[in-house]
Amino acid sequence: MNINPRIDRNTPVIVQGITGRAGQLHSRLMKQYGTNVVGGVSPGARVSEVNGVPVLADCGAAVEKTGARASVLLVGAMQLLEAMRDAIAAGIRYLVTPTEGMPVHDALKAWKLCRDTGAVWVGASTPGMAVAGEAKLGFLPDDSLKPGPLGLMSRSGTLSYEAGYRLAQGGVGTSVWVGVGGDPVKGTRFADLVPFYAADARTRALLIIGEIGGSDEEEFARALTEYRFAKPVFALIAGRSAPEGVTMGHAGALVHGSHGTHAAKRAALEAAGVRVFATLNEMVAGVAARLR
Amino acid sequence: MYLLEHDAKELLARLGVPIPPGRLIGRDETIHRSALPPGPWVVKGQVPTGGRGKAGIIRKAATPQELTDHARAILGATIKGRVVEEVRIEQQVDAAREAYLAFLLDPAAGGVRVILSESGGVDIEQVPPERIFSEVAPAAAEPLAACVQRLASRLPREIAPAAREAGELLARAFLELEAVLLEINPLFVLDGGRWIAGDAKLVTDDNALPRQKALELLVKARAGTYPDVARKHEHGFDYVVVDTRGEIGLLTTGAGLSMMLIDELREAGMKPYNFLDIRTGGLRGETKRLIQVLTWIGRGKGVKVLLVNIFAGITDLGEFSRLLVEAIAAAPQLKVPVVARLVGNGLPAAREVLAAAGIALHTDLDAALAEVRSHLSQELR
Repeated sequence: MNINPRIDRNTPVIVQGITGRAGQLHSRLMKQYGTNVVGGVSPGARVSEVNGVPVLADCGAAVEKTGARASVLLVGAMQLLEAMRDAIAAGIRYLVTPTEGMPVHDALKAWKLCRDTGAVWVGASTPGMAVAGEAKLGFLPDDSLKPGPLGLMSRSGTLSYEAGYRLAQGGVGTSVWVGVGGDPVKGTRFADLVPFYAADARTRALLIIGEIGGSDEEEFARALTEYRFAKPVFALIAGRSAPEGVTMGHAGALVHGSHGTHAAKRAALEAAGVRVFATLNEMVAGVAARLR
Repeated sequence: MYLLEHDAKELLARLGVPIPPGRLIGRDETIHRSALPPGPWVVKGQVPTGGRGKAGIIRKAATPQELTDHARAILGATIKGRVVEEVRIEQQVDAAREAYLAFLLDPAAGGVRVILSESGGVDIEQVPPERIFSEVAPAAAEPLAACVQRLASRLPREIAPAAREAGELLARAFLELEAVLLEINPLFVLDGGRWIAGDAKLVTDDNALPRQKALELLVKARAGTYPDVARKHEHGFDYVVVDTRGEIGLLTTGAGLSMMLIDELREAGMKPYNFLDIRTGGLRGETKRLIQVLTWIGRGKGVKVLLVNIFAGITDLGEFSRLLVEAIAAAPQLKVPVVARLVGNGLPAAREVLAAAGIALHTDLDAALAEVRSHLSQELR
């Protein structure tokens, strides 16, 4: 797979679920950051406008009225698959889904739908993505999101906020930030973005923030080698001290056997030339020393 | 959630999967012969982990005396940090062959990996790769059934029909239960082609629980057996005691950041008590969730200090601090000093509210950890 996540300040974006609590808040915050939010969708909504943009009953109507090409879906976990189908049927080919708790069999169906139609899907359980200084789709806090040369991908939201914040304080900003999300079946994986970051002129180095469980980091390491990725790559992997078999929040952090352990991920990444840090402080110091 | 073998088998039996007759016995129960199936038996310790045979908690019993002895030896044993609270006593199966069948979610391929082998029972890792047949299929009834048929046709004639039938039935169960993993090892194949699920390893998707009524009922009925899932289902957030002798209670949000904090505390020689992803966005101006968490942490006998670490992208820290101070007052079980490290929106208001309650606010995590350390060492004196 080769996924191109580049949006810009002109990309017209709608928010599905815009009349909800999260929809109202984040449509406002995204607009403030510079995102071109052009409308919202809310089936059965009684209002015609939220934060100065029109609210439509479905994606078909929203696309017709606004020309939207991307959507941020802030709907419930059990409604997410249906909302994604609505967006894709309306011709939207860029979907960001922050919703947590999407059933994994729904995610499989959504995955197949996106592959069949060529839609870019970031999520679920993603804090969102951003081209720093231009536009963000999702929740990424502005304090963590300063423009700079570092590409950033993360499975965890909060850990990436903290890392982005400390890096920004340490003088290192980000280029394109993609929260791939904490679910095992996701629209965009670390490995899918390797060709994009290799070609992206603004990105001078890449940081991934991973965690135990699943095989995302191992696949990413293989992709780096396959594409002969030439920029410096750094990694921080959470869950080094987690007991085997215990799920801590993310469905992806259920470790089966040695596959997906911290040691296995570290070994795979280091073999691909990635510098793996043990703590946040070391990571910030190491990345800053290389890029500042 | 990782179901105990007994629960997995009983769920599968309801979907038509043949299993050996058996009964669940708890630690304090007496074994009544009349309630058991006819012998000989196998006594199987129920813990959610693999390698039970090697760990010695699966034993065959030919006589009632052996049965009692084995049950006594297995109940209460500790395997990979888990205490065996229950055994399943099951009728032994006189199988002609032991095959292997598994369905597991393959996230990278976006489908379900189906694995079939004529050789099960032993470590599947020891079986030569040319005798294991495997393919990925989309997670839907027809393609999965077709995949099972393709794989079964490559097995020896004596077991192919049984493997096909078992595979088709279990593929439907995998979809119906919204499973992440369903492994039948061994799959007993009897003379004449009948088959029985000798074991069942079933991991289901917690996110689907609200629409999986049978699983939801199971979690409610056996909350003591599945405490983390039951708690998550009831309260809507994740809390796990990671070290019953831990000294530092954690009030944190975000799974990744909370895990990283636990890693860094342990690296520095400190002992965190719990993992918590409280989801500040879910507090909605109420103290209920905070009081609940503080009460749980208060049960940790070794907890000497509470560390609050919140990176608030969106949450208003002023409001969060007001709720926190209120919740601390309402949870008298927790009588330990509080160290707060907050970053994000509304910091000045947070500082004021916390100062009035005698809590110092740090923005630097290292400074907060230094204060945590000073509380731990005072405790030593």
